[in-house]
Amino acid sequence: MALIILRNIRKVYKTGNLEVAALINLTLNIEQGEFVAIIGQSGSGKTTLLDILGCLSHPTSGEYWLDGDNVHLLPDSQLTTIRNKKIGFIFQTFHLLPRKTALENVQLPMMYARASRAIQHDRASELLTMVGLKDRLYHYNNQLSGGQQQRVAIARALANRPALLLADEPTGNLDSQSGNDILTVFEQLHQQGQTIIIITHDPLIAQRAERCITLLDGKIMSDEMAHPSSATKG
Amino acid sequence: MLLAIIHDAFKNLSGNLLRSGLTMLGVIIGVASVIAMIAIVEGGQVSLVNSIERLGTNLLFVWKKRLTVEERRLYAGRWTKLKYADALAIRQKFPELTVAPVDYFDGQIKAGKRDFSGRIYGTSPEYSEMRNFFPAKGRFITTVDIQEWQRSVVLGSTIAEVLFGIESPIGKEVKIFLHGRNKKRDNSTKKNGNSTKEGKKEQPRVGEYRFVVVGVMETKGESQGKDWDEMIFIPSTTMIRYFLGTDRIGNLVIHVPDRNRMDEFSKKLNQFLVQRHDGVDDLRIHNQGEFLKTVEQTLWTFRIVLGGIAFVALLVGGVGIMNIMLVTVTERTREIGLRMAIGARRQDILLQFLIESTTISIIGGGLGIILGIVSAYGFGNLVAQALPGGGDWGAVIEPPAILIAFTFAVGVGILFGLFPAIKASKLDPAEALRYQ
Repeated sequence: MALIILRNIRKVYKTGNLEVAALINLTLNIEQGEFVAIIGQSGSGKTTLLDILGCLSHPTSGEYWLDGDNVHLLPDSQLTTIRNKKIGFIFQTFHLLPRKTALENVQLPMMYARASRAIQHDRASELLTMVGLKDRLYHYNNQLSGGQQQRVAIARALANRPALLLADEPTGNLDSQSGNDILTVFEQLHQQGQTIIIITHDPLIAQRAERCITLLDGKIMSDEMAHPSSATKG
Repeated sequence: MLLAIIHDAFKNLSGNLLRSGLTMLGVIIGVASVIAMIAIVEGGQVSLVNSIERLGTNLLFVWKKRLTVEERRLYAGRWTKLKYADALAIRQKFPELTVAPVDYFDGQIKAGKRDFSGRIYGTSPEYSEMRNFFPAKGRFITTVDIQEWQRSVVLGSTIAEVLFGIESPIGKEVKIFLHGRNKKRDNSTKKNGNSTKEGKKEQPRVGEYRFVVVGVMETKGESQGKDWDEMIFIPSTTMIRYFLGTDRIGNLVIHVPDRNRMDEFSKKLNQFLVQRHDGVDDLRIHNQGEFLKTVEQTLWTFRIVLGGIAFVALLVGGVGIMNIMLVTVTERTREIGLRMAIGARRQDILLQFLIESTTISIIGGGLGIILGIVSAYGFGNLVAQALPGGGDWGAVIEPPAILIAFTFAVGVGILFGLFPAIKASKLDPAEALRYQ
């Protein structure tokens, strides 16, 4: 069974009397270990898809299965647990908490998972070491560069060993060098078997993934495997 | 988990010190005013009750009543007023009561060339103990004085000093002269009467008698509208025989052994005296217990009014907390969204903001306790300096008052933090994440 199964997903937003369909009968499977880019222009529905994939909101209709869980039937409280245990979020604006060290930021998902303090500390420092921030454990956000902050965010996303890493324009606020470094980290994670979905409007970034899904007006326009040759171009 | 949330709360509060401080100020002032108000009223109660009880406890006072014109006509010929014999009759009828007749006249007391014009009181030995007022030197009036109409006098400490200076007055002779019972009391001559008038010829006057000083009273100060140190005591019987010429007396002071029976004796005495006076109700019985009750009731009014104002201040402090927490929730919408995205349950968010507002109220409450105690003592000292009789009006800090104020403050913090916290926990994670 695929890690992610979307069946006839519809999402309709109501603004007053006006109904806007952001996603129209979207059907999609993503296997365990895939590195997928979802690409589309603004208004194509990619943010809505991110919210649904990330269990941040329910689809208006349709079915969503994540790692065997019947997400579309689960109440809010259980979605929280799924987000905590199975999904790692990476955002364009990093979303690190102010007045917290890199270590504390990475510990946060584990704190909500009620892990012991010792485990939180060990796992967080291990992850930060992995993303190359071994000597930045006790630095605050304002003492870190954008690229470093995004690495902290990646470490935080990985804290509870999620089934899915969900990145929303992860390089959008970074210069090309740092952005490239972040994508390299994603590629390494992919090689270790991590399922990754990157949502972006940038075709160049999408090329780094092994599969590229293009959205247009709430529907999948194309779904193709990237050429291995272009994957290394950057 | 909880520890981490509390740690976060402190970090967030210290990250915005000015704002947190101002928010706390509301709670600080609220708690401080509750504690200070209660402490001051308590202090007042202790001071007033002390000053009343210092003059003896469980006392009934019997006065002659001022009769209306109609009553005088009605009781014509039967109107006897209060008599010395009434005191003796009460003693006989109610042996468990202690009775002291009290009357006074305005007169002059002379020792050599020094003199003093003031009130001379005629009473019995019981008076001293009943009013908790004892001789410092010598003795008070005794039963023998009463039985034998002895011309013994006991002086207030001020009088003794005016007449005798540092000499011991015991055994010395003084002369007491009646100004005239109906003479209007003239304060200026009374006060100036302390000065010694020299060059005046000694001439025997009608109504002047020699007395021997047998005791000097302890220093008691002023209270209940009189200066106890300017009192002069002679035996009741002596006063009646030498100065008044009638056995009418001004009032009776009666001590009831059991506080709970004061109302009962008050009624019994009234019945007894009306009967003795041939059915004429010409006396009034004043119950000290009732007076105490009135004082306590008045203080309760103060307590409720002042406490109410203070609690309103505390409530306003709570509104301040709510206000600032609402701002905080709005400011941190994105943080809330992120926390929810990575696994914070709604109750985690609720708890986080609730702990923040509670922390404000706990710290504010703690500081308020300190400020309240300091200002209560400060006020106590101020009263002590401002009022001549307020010397013992100290603030009385009651631990329950502190506990109540503190609990209320924390309750206010929780209550007023609840709405913003609920608001935060109800945010939609997807929207909150992208809040600009």
